[in-house]
Amino acid sequence: MLSLFVGLSSCKNGKSQIESISYGLTLSPSGIDPHINASAELGIPLSSVYDTLVFQDPDTGDFVPGLAQSWTISPDALTYTFELREDVVFHDGTDFNANSVEANLNYIVNPDHLSQKAVIMLGPFEQVEVLSEFSVAIHLTAPYAPLLDSLSQVYLGMASPSALGKWGPTEYQFHQVGTGPYRFVEYIPNDHLILRKNPDYAWAPSVYQQNIAAIDEIIFKFYEDPATRSFALETGEIDIIGEIPPQEVDRLLETGEFEFQPVPIPGQPTQFFFNSSKSPTSDARLREILITALDRQFIVDTIFGAYSPVAEGPLSHQLFSYTTTSPYPDYDPDFAVEQLDELGWRIEPGSRVRSKDETPLELSIVAPPWGSNSEVAQLMSATWENLGIQVSLEIAPGFGPLRQLQDSGEYNLIGINFFGTDPDLLSSFYSTDGFYNWSGQSDAELDKLLSQAKAATHDAQERQLYYSQISEMIREQALLIPIRDYVNLVVVRSDIIGLHFSPQGWFPYLIDLRRAP
Amino acid sequence: MKSQPTTTLSLIWAILVILVAFAAPILAPFNPRQPVSDPLSIPSTTTVLGTDSLGRDLLSRLLYGARYSLGLSILAASITILAGGLIGLLAATFPGFPDRIILWILNSSLAIPGLLLAMVLVAGLGPGTSTVIIAVGIWGIPGFARISRTMFKQTLSMGYVDAVRALGGNWVWNSWFHILPNAGFRLIPLATVHVAWAFIGATTLTFLGFAGDPSLPEWGSMLNAGRLHLVQMPHLAILPGAAMSFTILSIHNLGTWLARISKPYSVH
Amino acid sequence: MVPLLNRPASRTLIAIGQRLIFGLLTALTAVTITFFALRLAAGDPLSSLLAQGLATPLQAEVLRVSLGLDQPLTTQYLDFLSSLLKGNLGNSLYTNRSVITVIMEQFQHTASLALLSLCIAVILGLGLGIIAAWRKGSNRSWLAETISGLATSLPVSFTGILTIMILSLSIRTISGSRVLLSSKELLLPALVLGFASSGAIARVIQSGLEESMLAPYMLAAKARGINKESRLLWHALRPSLPPAISLIALEASFLFAGTVVTETVFSRPGLGRLLVTSILQGDYPIAQGIVVLAALFYTFSQSLADILAFISDPRLEKAN
Repeated sequence: MLSLFVGLSSCKNGKSQIESISYGLTLSPSGIDPHINASAELGIPLSSVYDTLVFQDPDTGDFVPGLAQSWTISPDALTYTFELREDVVFHDGTDFNANSVEANLNYIVNPDHLSQKAVIMLGPFEQVEVLSEFSVAIHLTAPYAPLLDSLSQVYLGMASPSALGKWGPTEYQFHQVGTGPYRFVEYIPNDHLILRKNPDYAWAPSVYQQNIAAIDEIIFKFYEDPATRSFALETGEIDIIGEIPPQEVDRLLETGEFEFQPVPIPGQPTQFFFNSSKSPTSDARLREILITALDRQFIVDTIFGAYSPVAEGPLSHQLFSYTTTSPYPDYDPDFAVEQLDELGWRIEPGSRVRSKDETPLELSIVAPPWGSNSEVAQLMSATWENLGIQVSLEIAPGFGPLRQLQDSGEYNLIGINFFGTDPDLLSSFYSTDGFYNWSGQSDAELDKLLSQAKAATHDAQERQLYYSQISEMIREQALLIPIRDYVNLVVVRSDIIGLHFSPQGWFPYLIDLRRAP
Repeated sequence: MKSQPTTTLSLIWAILVILVAFAAPILAPFNPRQPVSDPLSIPSTTTVLGTDSLGRDLLSRLLYGARYSLGLSILAASITILAGGLIGLLAATFPGFPDRIILWILNSSLAIPGLLLAMVLVAGLGPGTSTVIIAVGIWGIPGFARISRTMFKQTLSMGYVDAVRALGGNWVWNSWFHILPNAGFRLIPLATVHVAWAFIGATTLTFLGFAGDPSLPEWGSMLNAGRLHLVQMPHLAILPGAAMSFTILSIHNLGTWLARISKPYSVH
Repeated sequence: MVPLLNRPASRTLIAIGQRLIFGLLTALTAVTITFFALRLAAGDPLSSLLAQGLATPLQAEVLRVSLGLDQPLTTQYLDFLSSLLKGNLGNSLYTNRSVITVIMEQFQHTASLALLSLCIAVILGLGLGIIAAWRKGSNRSWLAETISGLATSLPVSFTGILTIMILSLSIRTISGSRVLLSSKELLLPALVLGFASSGAIARVIQSGLEESMLAPYMLAAKARGINKESRLLWHALRPSLPPAISLIALEASFLFAGTVVTETVFSRPGLGRLLVTSILQGDYPIAQGIVVLAALFYTFSQSLADILAFISDPRLEKAN
């Protein structure tokens, strides 16, 4: 047994062996078709299987050519015209051209395919028009500033139309064909996913440092349970993994075998929404007091260690449109107690819970199980309980149960946050008919600002101004408790170099990975 | 007899856990839900067993854990024992067709893996302690009903029930009146063993994260949370795990011991 | 199988046939209970899909009709049964893939774990049971009894975590522990699960042995001068096998459920984790499919054990 093992490992080090690394994923998505499914995890491997029409530069935030060499946006912002590269070939040998773009977009908007994310990212999409073999136009029904951002992401990556047609929406996810630096080889759900180098890749965008992949094969494995992640690194099962629990980072670094790379994730911070349509959090003054009573720095230090900054608004610091709002109140428990008394929530003799007109002060918190939301919620409830508030906490074990609890409306606070590089993600959270309007508020002025910001395609400065007004309104109404800007704690084996990420933060540029000589 | 010290130890531990469950608010040095010191701090004079990842006193959480974990399993076991016992009693008092139908359903339900069914139940009803109690309670019913049916049948076949029947009157009522005390006494060891099963069931569900509120000081949830720090702070998982195991072991031993002493005629 | 030859073949066949029919009826009842219990507990299978915005109300209506959810519950039940007979368990709500395919993908992982655990449980259980019965009251017997007691009582969650802890501490201290690590994939989870099941088997073997040691034929064997080892292992062990066999069948289905915790603790793929994820996502057809398959598996192994017991113990014929 032992000799067999020695034999195997020496084989691994042999020069003739192919260069291979394994990458740990932290979620096991229910489906991994980027045109159909919504998981961010699927983008980690698949961003390197597909190329997109444009890419976003992680340093400047500018959009740079990808499969499209150039593009123009009409003055009314309703038509985007793309001139495509003429030398691109899909992994299955078919050519990439304007018809491929047409086929992909029509595949996404086909209502039978039940696209969960890509179709939403296309916004007010009207139709796609093939102008010539390598020229294509996208027509919108209304201006939609986030379109280039959408087109730079894997969800709108270009797949081989013949593969899409051959496999159809249920089976395509197991037979994906793109044009990217890696080819899709095999996917066994919950088990592994294998990518192999595309030796014919010759159209690398400027965001990549290399022109062709150095690692022959990348195997992805799933580690949903945070307790197993650092263990898998130490045992050599995997070389790279994100979402390492903060307390484990220092210990892993002490071994000297690993490098640590904290990657800020743009989008919304870890946050809790107040339900403004349910008593007692329907009272904006009470919401303000509850924020004042929280020591957010202490919460962040306790749970996230030194690696995440405290969040100060509805968007994280990394977003280009992040604008400082009026600061959120400083931690002041004495002032909070004073204010609670003043509002009429008093502790009657013989009771430990504050009440007003015989109604006890009760809060119900609902939190998702991922991303330390549960720990944040536990510290929040401990703090508020200290002030004489009765808090009940429920952790929904998954997204389905979370939505069911949200649907019932029986909560005062709920934790949810989305990631993204375009601030328009705020509109589904704060507009009256937004799908994630979980704070249950309805404000005509906020709605108007959100739609104006969405339409400001040509004027980035104007757009930024709108978002700072929006952030300000959210702050004034105390709809939100921002906790910390999300940082993905990635740990990588020291002999692997070149790990860097797309602006979305989650998706690595796998083409640039190398093993140190 | 080698089993004597085991029984004594089990009895001592079980009494200890029950006492702690009642006296937790007096015994615990801190509020089990409030952070009292730095997270993951090592044992010190103030926090005797150190703190967990949110800075809460581990000792206080362990002490309160006796209350929650034992409470969950005793409540769940009560559902099982009451419902299962009633079904068993019905089957035993109505021999023939009703008995065979009941037995058939019981045997068939035993084919459904209890843990899987309990998980689906908890997901459907929404997580929380009360759903854990209900799911674990239902999980045990078929098995317990089958055993208690046998037990009631044996009691019924004893001579004095026939004697009661001969007296006339409502014979169902009469036989229940007479077999319940008798068979109930014989069911005590089985019920005790069942509390141990319910304990395993409840802590398994809370371990899998179905308890709803994770700040609840409950041994299964604590074991799960402690898993994250297995290398630096193994006692965060080991202590609640050991407390769980000792409790299950001693309840189980006590049940076996009760069964042995309640069968005075069996050869030993 | 000598006892088989002592009986007319036709009678054996009839008895086996009876047991098969009995098993089928039990399976039918179990599947029925599962169907209604799940439907009552889970509520509208489409609600979570709708709630997550993965389908518009219109799409959900279409899906509802195509899944037959607009029909009365009894019609749905009959449809479910008839497609089950055709080996069809429906499609996943999320990926629209066939439930059977999804389950089959994960089946091998759980099956290899469960099989190895079962072997470990049987070997360990037999060993512990025999040692405990060997010389009642000796230290060795007491130790065996204690170990099997621990095996029944220690929750798999705890033994699994202990194992992982020992493993993760040892990779820092013992050189060449990579060998140990390779065992994490299958051997260690199987040991944890097998240990948990061995306790009950040990107890049945032990009490069976103790009982048959007192039987008159054992006295006869002793009188014939057969030594204690042979008496115990050959004459006494055989009659205590049938109850052990049916218990092993019971344990086999227990293992199936036990893999839920083991797969979580060891982060292994398999049916247990598939069930957990599908429950959390509200992918109702997959959850239902797994529970139904588990129930079918259980009744199948019980019937098999029944038949084996019948063949290996002629006394059961009279009881029939």
